[in-house]
Amino acid sequence: MEMKPKQLVTLNINERTYEVPLHPRDLLVDVVRKEVGLTGTKKGCGQGDCGACTVLIDGEPVLSCLTLAIACQGKKITTIEGLADAKGELHPLQQAYVQHGAIQCGYCTPGMILASKALLDRNPRPDTEEIKRALAGNLCRCTGYKRIVEAVEAASETINKEGVK
Amino acid sequence: MFLNNFEYFAPQTPEEALTLLDRFGDKAKVLAGGTDLFLLMKDKLLQPEYMIDINQITGFKGISYEPGQGATIGAATKIVEVERDAIIREKYYVLHQAASELGSVQVRTMATIGGNSCNASPAAETPTPLVALGAKVVLHSLSGKREMPLAEFILGNRKTALKPGELLACFILPEPLPRSAGRYAYIGLREAMEIDAVNMAVYIVLEDDSRTVKDLRLIMGSVAPRPLFSREVSALLTGKEPNPALIEKAAEAASGEASPISDIRGSAEYRHEMVKVLARRLLQETYTAAKEA
Repeated sequence: MEMKPKQLVTLNINERTYEVPLHPRDLLVDVVRKEVGLTGTKKGCGQGDCGACTVLIDGEPVLSCLTLAIACQGKKITTIEGLADAKGELHPLQQAYVQHGAIQCGYCTPGMILASKALLDRNPRPDTEEIKRALAGNLCRCTGYKRIVEAVEAASETINKEGVK
Repeated sequence: MFLNNFEYFAPQTPEEALTLLDRFGDKAKVLAGGTDLFLLMKDKLLQPEYMIDINQITGFKGISYEPGQGATIGAATKIVEVERDAIIREKYYVLHQAASELGSVQVRTMATIGGNSCNASPAAETPTPLVALGAKVVLHSLSGKREMPLAEFILGNRKTALKPGELLACFILPEPLPRSAGRYAYIGLREAMEIDAVNMAVYIVLEDDSRTVKDLRLIMGSVAPRPLFSREVSALLTGKEPNPALIEKAAEAASGEASPISDIRGSAEYRHEMVKVLARRLLQETYTAAKEA
C-alpha cells in the first residue's frame, strides 16, 4: 500500500501535550522514544513478553510495543519520566528501587516501576504474592526479583506513611 | 519489528464499524486488544490494508447482569474487567478464574474477551470456561444479527464461524442454575505469561438432593484444535453420586478423549497424563462446591 504522509496527532504524555507526526502503524514505544525523545521507556522483546516497554495509559499498565500511538489520542500516558515531582525529587518507588539494590543493569526498571505503580495505586498494601503477581509480566535478567519485591514492599510503607501518590 | 502500513479507522458505533468491514472485506482486520493481532503482523503473517479499531464503540463494551436472565459481556470488554467484575466472580467463578490466569496484568489490561475467542487459539484460556457455562455468541452484520453457541463458533485452530462482514458483538451467559458450580485449572510451564499445556473447566448442576449429578460438562483446552467437550465424562457421572472410584474412571475417560499434539509446551503423552490429573482434581473440587452452593 502506498505510504501516505504522516499526520499530526495530539498525545498527552506525563501531563504535557505533544503534537506528534506519525503513521497509523507507528507503535507507542517508538513514538515516545524517537519522536517525543523520552527514552526511559525500553524496547525489549517487541512481542509483549518482557514488559520492558510498559507504560501507563489512564493509570493502567500496557505494553507500548503492542499499542498503536494513534489509538492513544485523548488518553493520559505516563512514562517513567513522569514519576519524579516537579523539583526532580524521585517517586518513593524509584527511591526504594535504588535503596534496595533492585536495579542492576536498569533495562527492565522503568517497566518494572510502572507496573509497581499501577499495583500500588489500586492496592496500597499488597502482600508478597500480590506483588509477584503484578510483576509477573516484567522480566529481569539481573536481580533475581527478591530485591524488586522488597523495594515495592518498602515503597508501599513509605507511601502509606507519607501519603505520596 | 515493524507493522506494515495501513489506514486506520476508529468507528464510534457498531453500524460504522460494520459499514467499514463490509466495504473493505478481507483487506481489513478488526483491532480489539492487539496482543495477538500485532504479533501476527510483526511476523508478516498478516498484512491488512485497513485497521478497524473497535475500542471506541461503547455498545461492544462492558458487563451487564439481569437476575434470572444471565449476563451479557461485550466482545471488546477487557480481560481485566472480567477478572475484577464482582458479578462474574460471584455467579460465574469459573470464568473469573480463567480471566485471572491469562497472560500478565499488562496483557489482561489490553486483551479482550472477544479477541480471545476470535483468535481461536487451541490454547486460549477463556473459551474453555465459556463453553462449559453454555455461553452463546451474538454476531452482527449489516444484514442483521445471529446467535450461536460458542461451542459451534470456534471451528478449529484459528478458525471461527465468522462470515465476511460479520463482527462478534457479545457473549450471553445463561443464569447459573441452583446447586451448580464451575471451576477452572491449567497446567503450564510457569505461573504467568505461559501458554497452557492443558486447561480445563468443569460445570456441575446437582439434583434437588444436592448429591446426584443432574448435568455435567467437562471442557478441555489445548488438547484438541478447539475446546473439547467430554461426552464420556458426562455419560459416566450424570445421574450418579460421584465418589473417588467413579471420578478416577471419568478422569481416565477424559484422558482417552483428548487428542493432544507434542510441542514445546509438552508431549502428547504428558498432556494425556495431565488431563487425568486436572480432571480428577476439578471434578472433585467442582462437585464439592456444587454441594455447598
